[in-house]
Amino acid sequence: MANNTRGLSFSDVDSDWKLALDPENVFWGVIPKDNGRFVLPDNLIDFYKKERKHLDSELFNFRFHEPLNCVYIDPTDRCNANCLYCYIPSRIRKHGTQMTTEELDTTLKKIEEYFKRVKKKPVIVFHAAEPLLVKDIIFGAIKKYHKKFLFGIQTNALLLEKEDTDFIRKYRIGIGISLDADMKEINNRSRITTLGKGNYEKAVKALNWFKGYEGLNVICTVTKYNVDRLSMLVKFLHKKKVPLVLLNPVRLTQERAVRLKPDDMAYSRNLIAAVDTAIELSKKTKRQIVIGNMANVVLAIISPTARRMMCDISPCGGGRTFLTITANGDMVPCGEFIGFKEFSGGNIFKTSIEKAMNSMPFKKIRNRIVEKIDECNTCDFRHICGSPCPAEMYARGNLYGKAKFCEFYKEIIRHAFKLIAEDKVKYILREDAIKQLEYEYKL
Amino acid sequence: MKTKKVKENLSHKRTKAKGTAVSYHLKCAKTSNGLTHFVMYGDVPKKKMPL
Repeated sequence: MANNTRGLSFSDVDSDWKLALDPENVFWGVIPKDNGRFVLPDNLIDFYKKERKHLDSELFNFRFHEPLNCVYIDPTDRCNANCLYCYIPSRIRKHGTQMTTEELDTTLKKIEEYFKRVKKKPVIVFHAAEPLLVKDIIFGAIKKYHKKFLFGIQTNALLLEKEDTDFIRKYRIGIGISLDADMKEINNRSRITTLGKGNYEKAVKALNWFKGYEGLNVICTVTKYNVDRLSMLVKFLHKKKVPLVLLNPVRLTQERAVRLKPDDMAYSRNLIAAVDTAIELSKKTKRQIVIGNMANVVLAIISPTARRMMCDISPCGGGRTFLTITANGDMVPCGEFIGFKEFSGGNIFKTSIEKAMNSMPFKKIRNRIVEKIDECNTCDFRHICGSPCPAEMYARGNLYGKAKFCEFYKEIIRHAFKLIAEDKVKYILREDAIKQLEYEYKL
Repeated sequence: MKTKKVKENLSHKRTKAKGTAVSYHLKCAKTSNGLTHFVMYGDVPKKKMPL
C-alpha cells in the first residue's frame, strides 16, 4: 500500500526499552532508554534503508504466496466429550457422520494427487471432533500412507490405550493431548465427557505413557476457569517431560463459549507468568518446555516466515496454508467453520482440493486482511497478531471486526519485544529450532 | 494503538548511538521435513525433534 508518511513508528516496550518498528514489514529495533530518553543508532537506520524492500517482499510472499502444506481431516464428526467451548455445534457432534475406510482412502488419494509435484511432504492432522473414535481406520491409513505424508493426531485421550503409544512412536506421529489444567476439578469443568465426567485421568495417563516423546504436545484452551492456573500447568507438564504446550485462547465461535472468555489483561498477565515459569524451569533443569504461543509471536518478529501457527497472521492460514476436510467430505477453510455451510468450498468426494482452494468461500477468508479492518489498519502490531479469528468474528456478526483478544495480543507482543531485548529468545524457541535459523542481518 | 507515535522518514536526522540497541532478522534455513517453517504436528523426525 502506498504510504508517503511511511517509516519507523516509536512506542514504549516498557520503562527500559523503546521500540522502533515499521508495521508494514516488521522491521524492528529495541533501543535502551536512559531516564526515559533514547538515542536512535545510525546503523539501525542504515539497516532499515537497506533491508526495507527485501522485508516488504518477504512478508508479502509469506502472506499471499505461501502454498497449502497441511490438511486437517476430521474422520468423524462425533465426539465422546462435550467441552463447554467446542466450536463444533452439538447437533453435529451427536448425529454427525463418520468416514469409512474407503472414504478416508479416497480422501488421502486426492490429497496425494494435489501434492504430487511438491517435494515437501504435506502434513495430515486427524483432528476434531474425536478422531480416535475411528482409531482402526486412521491407524490403517497411517500405515498405508506414512511414506507419503507426515501425520499428527489431536485427541482428548479418552480412547487412547498404551499399545497405541507404541504405534504412534513407531510411525513418528505428532500427538496433541487436550488438557486444560493441572488440577482435575478445574480441567473437568470445561473438558467434560459425554458421561458427565472429564478427561483428566486419561489425559494424564497418556502423558505418562508418552513421557519423553519428542512428538508430544499439550493443547490447553484458556478460559476464565483456568486462566490463573497457567504457570501451574506449565510446571506440571514440565515434570511430565512435555516439550511443547499451547495455551490457546478459547475461540468464541459458538455463543456458549462467549461466557467463558477470560479477561484480556488476566490472560496476558498469566501467560507472561507461565512463560517466566518455563524459562526458569528450562534454566534450572536444562530441559525445555516451550510455550508455542509465545514462540510464535517471537518468531513473527525475528523470523516471520518461520512461524507455524497460522492463526496469528493476516490473512490467517485457513483456506490458504491449510484446510479442513470434514467427515462427510466437505472442505472448509478451517475447522472453526464446520458449523457454517456457506463456507464449504465443495466436497472432496465430488470435486478437487484445487477447486476448493479457488472457491469463493476460501477466497473470502483469504481476503480478510488487516488492511481492511478498522483499528487494525493503523495498529503497529497488525502483522504480528494478524487479528484472529475470521470464523469467530463471522459468528459474532462481523467478519471484518478486530480480534476479540486485541488487548491481550498487544500486551503479549510488547512482552515478546522485551524478551528479545533481554536476549531470552534461546529459552522461548526450541534449542534445535534456533540452530536452523540464520541471521540475515544483525545490529 | 494508542501509543505515542513519531513517524520517522528515511531522511531522519542522524544521532550518535548510545547504549546497546537490538535488531536482527533470521531466516529459517531448514526444518526436519523441509517445510519452510516449523510445525507443531506431523513434524517428528526420525531421530530428533526440531520444534
